[in-house]
Amino acid sequence: MTGPQPSALSTRALVAGYEPDLPIVRGVDFSIRSGELVIVLGPNGAGKSTFVKAIAGLVPIHSGATMLGGFDITAVPTHEKIRHGLAFVPQTENIFATMSIHDNLLLAANVLPKEKRSRRVADLYAMFPDLAARPSLRAGQLSGGQRQMLAVARALIVEPSVLILDEPSAGLSPKIVQEVFAQLKAINDTGVTIILVEQNVKAALAIADRAAILVEGQLRHEGPAATLAEDPIVAELYLGARPAGKAATP
Amino acid sequence: MNPQLIMDGLIAGAMIGLGAIGITLTYSILRFANFAHGEMISWGAYLALATSGLLGSLSGALLKPIGPFSFGWSLPLAVLAAVALTAGLALLVDALLFGPLRKRRSAVIIMVMASFGASLALRSLLEFIFTSKPVYFSKALQIALPLGGGLRATPDQLLSLAVAAILVVAIHILLTRTAIGRSMRAVSENQQLAGVAGIDARKVIRTVWMLGAGLACIAGVMAGLLVQIRPYMGFDLLLPLFAAAILGGIGSVPGAMLAGLIVGLAEALGVQLIGAEWRAAVAFMILVFVLLLRPQGLFGRAE
Repeated sequence: MTGPQPSALSTRALVAGYEPDLPIVRGVDFSIRSGELVIVLGPNGAGKSTFVKAIAGLVPIHSGATMLGGFDITAVPTHEKIRHGLAFVPQTENIFATMSIHDNLLLAANVLPKEKRSRRVADLYAMFPDLAARPSLRAGQLSGGQRQMLAVARALIVEPSVLILDEPSAGLSPKIVQEVFAQLKAINDTGVTIILVEQNVKAALAIADRAAILVEGQLRHEGPAATLAEDPIVAELYLGARPAGKAATP
Repeated sequence: MNPQLIMDGLIAGAMIGLGAIGITLTYSILRFANFAHGEMISWGAYLALATSGLLGSLSGALLKPIGPFSFGWSLPLAVLAAVALTAGLALLVDALLFGPLRKRRSAVIIMVMASFGASLALRSLLEFIFTSKPVYFSKALQIALPLGGGLRATPDQLLSLAVAAILVVAIHILLTRTAIGRSMRAVSENQQLAGVAGIDARKVIRTVWMLGAGLACIAGVMAGLLVQIRPYMGFDLLLPLFAAAILGGIGSVPGAMLAGLIVGLAEALGVQLIGAEWRAAVAFMILVFVLLLRPQGLFGRAE
């Protein structure tokens, strides 16, 4: 019999926000097991992006703690977190648009030992053949989907244990969203733990193991993705369904 | 029109270009116009002069002119030391002034005003230590060599042009082909994303200060070698430096150098056509026209 899977990343009573007296994230206890894919849901302004940005070190943490594989990374500077195995893909401006695809990857590979850099860049080109086709192309000239792929490739180059993505489907067409999510699921299947903040709830629940719902900066609900997809409250709040018994307004 | 103005313009432009590279790098990464950059030019020149004098007093052989040039080995050796010392001075100013302001997330205008204050303090200190009397690396007279087409230049002038060209190519390669160069470009484009990608912005900022100050020191030595050394030499260059940095496009090293040459040539043309008293007005007019017509400059990105 195996024991409980270790927590890949967790937060304890996390309070974070841009101003100390105006916390946006208010005491969140959250945990994700190694190899899981968890989607973070919530209405607009619930603090989802602030929550993951705080974990990544982009928003000040006022109290509480963030643990990565048992190591306290609360006070670790943003640029050091990637060395501990935490990679973050912001929602917008997540690539260096003026630099080539290749330079974006080389830049990310800088944190690796010299002898590993070119091998990892080659690995990523093998994983994302679209990027390998035109490595000298300026990243700003890529399509929305390709930009997301480059952003994910940039984050993966260090072989992170935990990958956090803030709304990777924002601004993409439904077809491209399916491609991006399929790629994320494939990455998760290789053992990378993924935290996904999403507004595209249906598509995200389809690939997620578990979902966590933030409301007004607090974790209100969490559970298996399959169960939540059937939950009438979740369905009403996030999937656009009407609660049973309510007639449609004419 | 005397064709010699081309040579005069290129030589002045090379100095302006080297200084403008420091301005453009600082602006693109630290996001403020550093008015203390001119003082790095003056301090660089004085530090090289002092070190050269010290080396000369230790060994007279170091003062013996090298080949056709007006200076001995004491100067190139002193330049190496002065580049390091000027870089150290820039880091000290950052540690005492700009760094604490960055930590407090001070507004751009505060940073600019602080740079004005630093400029005044550094210039006054220089005047206090060395007095305002002009000084020279060498008082030896050099004969300008005919280059053809009515152009003449002294060996010192030709060397300065060659050094400027080599430095621009070197800096361009550093920015485009090396890890630290890619990090600098990344921080310039998006500091937050650069942090997420594992880049330590503090290390990049230190590199930018050292690089900018080192180039300013070499520009100061060139100015001292070709003209004279005065505490106000850097301050007087500020307007053409900013004109070149903006004309070249903020963040562009080749742009800053090319624009430096354009400003230098325009100033030389202005001096010949309308008189030396209008030299500063030429740089000012270039600055105004660029800001009105093409604010992103020749090689900059439109916002």
